[in-house]
Amino acid sequence: MKPSALLTLCAALIALALPAMAQTPAEQRVRSTNDDIIAIAVKVPNNEVLIQKVRPVLEKNVSFAAMTRRAIGPGWRTFTPEQQKKAISLFTDLIIRRYAGRYTIGERPEVSYKAPTTPAPGRAEIPTQVLYKGSRYEVIYRSEQSEDWRITDLVVEGVSLVGNYRSQFDAAFRKGGAEAVLNALTNAVNNPQ
Amino acid sequence: MKKLALLSLASVVFCVGCASTKNKPATAPSDGKSAVTGKSTVAADDLDTYGSVASVPDPLQPVNRVTFWINHQVYTYLLKPVAKGYKFIIPEKGREAIHNAFENIKFPVRFTNHVLQGDLKGAGQETGAFLVNSTVGVAGLGRPARHMPAFADLRPTDTAQTFAKWGIPNGFYFVIPLIGPTTLRDGVGLAGDWALNPITWCGYIWGQPLWYIAIPAANTMRSMPVQLDVYDAATKDSVDRYLAARDAYIQYRNEINSR
Repeated sequence: MKPSALLTLCAALIALALPAMAQTPAEQRVRSTNDDIIAIAVKVPNNEVLIQKVRPVLEKNVSFAAMTRRAIGPGWRTFTPEQQKKAISLFTDLIIRRYAGRYTIGERPEVSYKAPTTPAPGRAEIPTQVLYKGSRYEVIYRSEQSEDWRITDLVVEGVSLVGNYRSQFDAAFRKGGAEAVLNALTNAVNNPQ
Repeated sequence: MKKLALLSLASVVFCVGCASTKNKPATAPSDGKSAVTGKSTVAADDLDTYGSVASVPDPLQPVNRVTFWINHQVYTYLLKPVAKGYKFIIPEKGREAIHNAFENIKFPVRFTNHVLQGDLKGAGQETGAFLVNSTVGVAGLGRPARHMPAFADLRPTDTAQTFAKWGIPNGFYFVIPLIGPTTLRDGVGLAGDWALNPITWCGYIWGQPLWYIAIPAANTMRSMPVQLDVYDAATKDSVDRYLAARDAYIQYRNEINSR
């Protein structure tokens, strides 16, 4: 190899490594989660298997408890500990199915990461652009720090997943409190549309 | 041309009427505690959703729910099979090219709204992108402008966005038969987009069935698979499909209007 080529290679390697070193823990978490999921998605035969296989990855990297709490909103305080546990479990099932069930097997998303922002201490937003099936989507990963950084919301083209469920749970809660919310959730989990 | 003129007149009257009414915020925090709005603001409450839940008055909800239900049946049992057939007959690359060409033709919609919003830079970029796509991209079948840095920050725009930027409030939410979610403001915006779209004009200029039936039909056909995918993405695995679609629509439009 010519010395100049070697130099170019070194420069390229450094250029690649630099942004990697500058990554925040929150961003690293989102990147590794996406990489893990894509690695699984290219190997599975169908969405049912994908739903099963991504569950451990999502449970490790996503705070479903925080997601459920936020999606339910102020009504959460009136839930008994058992009801809260049930709500988290159901909502986890629903979100995993929504996420992995929508994936088109064989289509690989290309994610490009933009500079993360810190809207508040202990919170991070990782904006990305996802190229999927020929279309570009603006996707923001919202993360929060508890013991470590966990993903707590996904904002696709301005639509917050948690916010979207909040609008639905609010209506159920106003109608019949915690029981109505749990019924609606159970119904959604048991009757896939 | 008469219909067109009448429509423009109606929108002007509507705009004037709305501009004089008091401007209400389009979003409101649902728990009453997180007083901040906007996409990156944070309230202290542990239960907040990073800001606010989008909301818009929905006084016609009972009627809207019926329309929404009928739309759902039509999408599921009529339009989805049709879209599937279209996807089967025309390969992906072909569909993409057709889609691109129809989007490219909508240039007057984008150009006019950039101008109406006072965004001359956007109007200029839009013109540049249109020229590149129409020539290098062969009548807009390809979208080479998409890969050019000069057009990288080109934002989407339409008439409803112009109304929002002028400070006209949403009014209220409603569901249009077949078309789907909109608000009073955005519905008039849709009419504006329709009037500014050359696909609409050609039927008036050349009174041949090819122009007023075949071309608009092809236009509807090419957008159908895309629209149905969006509908599915917004409503599958929801708890209440109607509310999921309404909220997704409002959140998405708020985002578009903030760009």
